[in-house]
Amino acid sequence: MSDAAQRANSKARLRARLKVRKYAVAASSALRERTAYRGSFLGSAIAYGLFVFVFSRIWASAYSDRTDIDGYGHVQMVWYFIVAELSSFAFSGSFWSLARDMKSGDVAYLVSRPYSFVFYSYAQGMGRAVANCMVLLLEGAVLGLLTVGPPPAVSPGQAFGVLVAMVLAGSVYFLLNLALAMTSFWVEENAAFYWIFQKLALIVGTLIPIELLPAKAQIVAWWTPFPSMSYVPARLFSAWPGDAGAGELLAYQAAWVAFSALLCHCVYALGRDKLTVNGG
Amino acid sequence: MNRIKAYARFLGASFAVNVQAVVEYRANFLAQVFGMMLNNAAFALFWGVLIGKVGSVGGYGFSDVMLIWALVSTSFGLAHVIFGNVRSIGQIVQKGELDLYLLQPKDVFLNVLCSRTVVSAWGDFLYGYVVLALLPGFGTEPGLHIERFVMFSLLSISGAAVFASVFAAAESLCFFLGDATGVADAITEFLLSFSLYPEKIFGEGMRWVFYTVIPSGFIAFVPLAAIKVLDWSLIPILALVAAVYAAASYGFFRLGLRRYESGNQMSSRI
Repeated sequence: MSDAAQRANSKARLRARLKVRKYAVAASSALRERTAYRGSFLGSAIAYGLFVFVFSRIWASAYSDRTDIDGYGHVQMVWYFIVAELSSFAFSGSFWSLARDMKSGDVAYLVSRPYSFVFYSYAQGMGRAVANCMVLLLEGAVLGLLTVGPPPAVSPGQAFGVLVAMVLAGSVYFLLNLALAMTSFWVEENAAFYWIFQKLALIVGTLIPIELLPAKAQIVAWWTPFPSMSYVPARLFSAWPGDAGAGELLAYQAAWVAFSALLCHCVYALGRDKLTVNGG
Repeated sequence: MNRIKAYARFLGASFAVNVQAVVEYRANFLAQVFGMMLNNAAFALFWGVLIGKVGSVGGYGFSDVMLIWALVSTSFGLAHVIFGNVRSIGQIVQKGELDLYLLQPKDVFLNVLCSRTVVSAWGDFLYGYVVLALLPGFGTEPGLHIERFVMFSLLSISGAAVFASVFAAAESLCFFLGDATGVADAITEFLLSFSLYPEKIFGEGMRWVFYTVIPSGFIAFVPLAAIKVLDWSLIPILALVAAVYAAASYGFFRLGLRRYESGNQMSSRI
């Protein structure tokens, strides 16, 4: 390789490193900001704990006269719910703050800066979600142990698979939240879109595993992003489907991450001209 | 008597103004109402699937669960449609915005509560009636559906009173604790969550909670028992219980109001 080509190559690498670094800084500052206000975890921790408690009682009642529902035992089902809800609680709340920033015009100071608005928002959102995830993970583990005992055994390789699935699930959650929040560019009150999205996410893979849905609903469900948001990490944790099955599920999630990122960029490109900034 | 009439007129006038304000943005109003109804309907799918698999949960079949959702949804909706500020008292007090209401001739508690309506709560309110209309048996026996409709409405009114009383009392904690948002939100979550699920799944140990601090029993469990067999004798008892909760909530607010310190914010209300 010639000197010029080497220099060009190292310049490109440096640029890529700097690009990644600015998003990493955004993520870490969001994480620090979140952990600085510890009281802010209280609301979601109470709601998550309450939900886990209520559903552990529902499943205890459902399993009172049986040992298996569509391949899931009682212990598996409760741990499934704990992990599925963890993903839902830790990653799904960003819609409100994003939509508020869009409506108030606060987003204006972000769109003019030398970074991608979508990736910057993503880095910030994921940074905050990591803090949420750690707190809720601890709470979920304690509640799971108290209600049904230890979870099904997971090898280190499987644990890594669950971790990757959780990051991918969080990515889909955040990016679709962002795309929905960006509908504020056109519609002033877009909360109804979020409620519908949130409830579909709850039904398709969070409250109950996909396997419990009627056969036709399962087929439809797999054509939506919802199984990638809670079902995949919860399934990998509570009922490992074998290495090949896990690989397929992770690939399914990765495809939805790519689609969601593309969707965000398209919505942003179409909507940014609609942004009206008020002086003051 | 004149005083009661005057407050009834005041409530009616507040409600009319609130309605005018929300229907001004018609598309937004309809989107929020139907969005909330769809939001609630999602849980019907969950229960349909689960009960389809296991038969019953905590002794409740699908109709029981739907009836309890209908009762709680309409009660919760009604509480927020009429008393829209019921979960904003803490915020109003902390911002010093209570001064505005203190200067007006009507009772502060009632004036604060009914000076706003929550748009999405209209969806909750209507959802209960939609579920009631769709439940099997409704309208199949002559006369029964009218009776059931009337009883459902009365039970929803007493449920709304209990909801509003507990929420207002929880929000009034801010007079004593400063920022009581966390506690108030927790009480709200607990009351709503426990009311929406079968009582028996929580076990006997929780019963005292459901009939005292988190009164899900008077919002959901007793009303369900009443409407299933059309037991009218429970209606006056529930009305009395609702009145006791309302009086206690009012007393707690007045007690807290003594500790209120005015802010220096200038505002007006027409």
